[in-house]
Amino acid sequence: MVQVEGLTKLYGDFTAVKDLSLSIHAGEVVGLVGPNGAGKTTTLRCLAGIIPPTQGVVRVAGHDIVHDAVAAKRQLAFFTDEPRLFDYLTVWQHLNFIARIYHVRDYEKIGAALLEELELADKRDALPGQLSRGMKQKLVIACGLLHSPNVIYFDEPLTGLDPYGIRKMKDSILKRAREGSAIIISSHLLHLVQEICSRIVILKSGHKIADGTLAEVTRKFSETAGDATLEEIFFRATSDMPPPVPPKLPAGTP
Amino acid sequence: MIRALLYLQYHSFRNRLISRFKRLRQPKYLFGALAGGIYFYFYFFRYMVRGFGSGHLPENPLASYSSLFASFAALILFIVVTLAWIIPHERAALTFSEAEVAFLFPAPVTRRTLIHFKLIRSQLSIFITTFFLTLVSRRFGGHPFLHAVGWWLILSTLNLHFMGSSFMRTILLDHGISNRLRRVLMAALVATAGISIWLWVRKTLPVLTSADTANFASFASYAESVLNTGPALYLLYPFRLVLGPFFAPDTPAFLAVITPALLIFVLHYLWVVFSDVAFEEASLEASQRHAARVAAIRSGNWQAAHQDHKVRREWFKLAATGPAALALMWKNLIGVARVFSIRFWLMFSILVLFCIGFIGEIGRLQNVSLMVAISVASVVGYSLLLGPQFLRLDFRHDLPMADILKTFPMRGWQIVLGEILAPMVVLAGFQWLLLIVGLGLVLVAPGKHDPWAIVIGLSALFVLPVLDIIMFVIPNAAVLLFPSWVQAGKDGPRGIEATGQRVIFAVGQLLVMLVTLLPVTIAFMVTYFPLKFILGPYVPVIFGALAATLILVVEAALGVWWLGRIFERFDVTEEPSS
Repeated sequence: MVQVEGLTKLYGDFTAVKDLSLSIHAGEVVGLVGPNGAGKTTTLRCLAGIIPPTQGVVRVAGHDIVHDAVAAKRQLAFFTDEPRLFDYLTVWQHLNFIARIYHVRDYEKIGAALLEELELADKRDALPGQLSRGMKQKLVIACGLLHSPNVIYFDEPLTGLDPYGIRKMKDSILKRAREGSAIIISSHLLHLVQEICSRIVILKSGHKIADGTLAEVTRKFSETAGDATLEEIFFRATSDMPPPVPPKLPAGTP
Repeated sequence: MIRALLYLQYHSFRNRLISRFKRLRQPKYLFGALAGGIYFYFYFFRYMVRGFGSGHLPENPLASYSSLFASFAALILFIVVTLAWIIPHERAALTFSEAEVAFLFPAPVTRRTLIHFKLIRSQLSIFITTFFLTLVSRRFGGHPFLHAVGWWLILSTLNLHFMGSSFMRTILLDHGISNRLRRVLMAALVATAGISIWLWVRKTLPVLTSADTANFASFASYAESVLNTGPALYLLYPFRLVLGPFFAPDTPAFLAVITPALLIFVLHYLWVVFSDVAFEEASLEASQRHAARVAAIRSGNWQAAHQDHKVRREWFKLAATGPAALALMWKNLIGVARVFSIRFWLMFSILVLFCIGFIGEIGRLQNVSLMVAISVASVVGYSLLLGPQFLRLDFRHDLPMADILKTFPMRGWQIVLGEILAPMVVLAGFQWLLLIVGLGLVLVAPGKHDPWAIVIGLSALFVLPVLDIIMFVIPNAAVLLFPSWVQAGKDGPRGIEATGQRVIFAVGQLLVMLVTLLPVTIAFMVTYFPLKFILGPYVPVIFGALAATLILVVEAALGVWWLGRIFERFDVTEEPSS
């Protein structure tokens, strides 16, 4: 569903992403992890057609994101870490607006169902300023899912959500994957990635240093394969230093 | 304690100044500072330099009306002060920064010290305003030092009065006197004063005749009789005292009036300092709102900085299918509705009706048709230049959302067209309304109809909307080409360098407009002059305008397409505007 070949993004002399190649299939949930400045957000932005790659090719559902941008963008949804909404449009007007952009004929039915699913039905006429951060996040998701995208990118999807919102978001991501969407999640929350991603890509300084299932990545960076967590693998993969030792708790601490 | 607050104030100012100088290392600020410096020199400082050289500027021809101006100034001051007692509805709140709230509110600082701190801080902006106002008023004669002291007294007294009235408002609210009751009482007092003056004028002064309005001198004499005698004299007396030092023609006169003005200032100061009003809670809320606004602007989401939580009316129902660009226009029109509400159009219509009535009154004049044509042409001309500066609900508003817009399955030119359509529709609507009313007036007004006014007005109806598109393409191109230069949002950088940046862009916009209009003018002339020999002087104007519109359509289409290409290549990681 998503093919990336030799993706490189330069900012002047600085290399944000270097020669990245990967492909993501329908139903796959790929976790993109790496330390700050590894190039995760730049990669997602290139994959979404927000910024043009310096070199390389990105295809979304067979359409080149640079040369056939409109067809490619029709297939995808990109959720940024911060919910970005138009402050003078109500919840329902956002859906109306997005429906016209993506030509979703039966948006009223789909939109109502999405608002119901995301527990926003009673906020239909509210402006973003009247919504909590979690609700804004849900509205962004409703807008993104309105045109039933085949490819979905998430940049830090759990930021600012309460435990209920986190549970709901995880369920929603897995549901879309089961329905056949190809999903990429960029996150620092390694337990989330470990929990819901079927594949992990680790970036460091713009380079891909690992790509595979958790077991495959573990085998690559651990001598004792099997029970290592993604957190341990992450530290081994991205740092020359040994992983930080968790603080010792006093005896009797549960 | 006050020394610590002065230390804070001094070092904040000093560090801000240093960072301003440091940023001059960036070309955009350096060129901005140069352009701003040249602008300020020619607009303000050269008058000051000339003034200091000769001691006084040449005698101002309006100097003989200084008494009338003083009376009008007192009236304006009265209105400003009265409105300060009627319009505001919040409890007293002194706006502090979040850091000031965090450090000063829990600190062992008395309420009075906080008020002093606030007063000292406000003096900085008062000094700067005084400086620029003196440069402006200096152009009309008088001694700069006397003007400066006069301005300082007016501004400082007003500042104290606003603070004092907000304290008094809070005290009234605490004593159960609601905002509505206060407003009714104040309005009743103002109405009583107004009626008293009107009755007195009717009783003692002759009826205002057309001879009184025939020239400025007779009108000035009548107005002075109204404002300088009877109840108005007593009503405006304290305001005249405050204004006295500013209007003093020389030093002896200044010394004679400075004492009462200073006395009013000191009384205001005592009123504010000895008001024991709890402003902390409201100040905390105001500071949080202010901080949220600043944070929203700094994060690029400055739309959130001005949200008012009021759902705006849709201008039309948006269908799910059709050109996607219309979705952006629909969205932006909802945003525009915040300003161009039904109330706005109602007020605008009342203003237009008032103008019609005024023109009807002077219908006896021979050249009504010409006067209307000149007035409409002037306003339309200014709207072409100023409209794109005021109507900013396009890329200048949506630039922080550029990454979201770029995910939309739309070509660059479609996004550009959608972005500029809404402000263009509003501006063209405004111009059409003016033109239609103007044409109607020209046709119905008594006297000789000017055929030039009619054919030019009709031509403008179809030329202007296309020209408007080009006028909006220019500033939007500037935003996308120089995103870090253009002031996106109203809280952009300030200072001489920011003014200079605006000057550079205004000149650039004018140059681009002239270049754009060159082929349009040629097309007009090539069509007009041959037809003039066949159809006479008037009708070919319409054909010439059609040819010009055709060229404008091509230029607008090319401009939108070109800007679309720029948007497709636009890098959202570029430095934000502020």
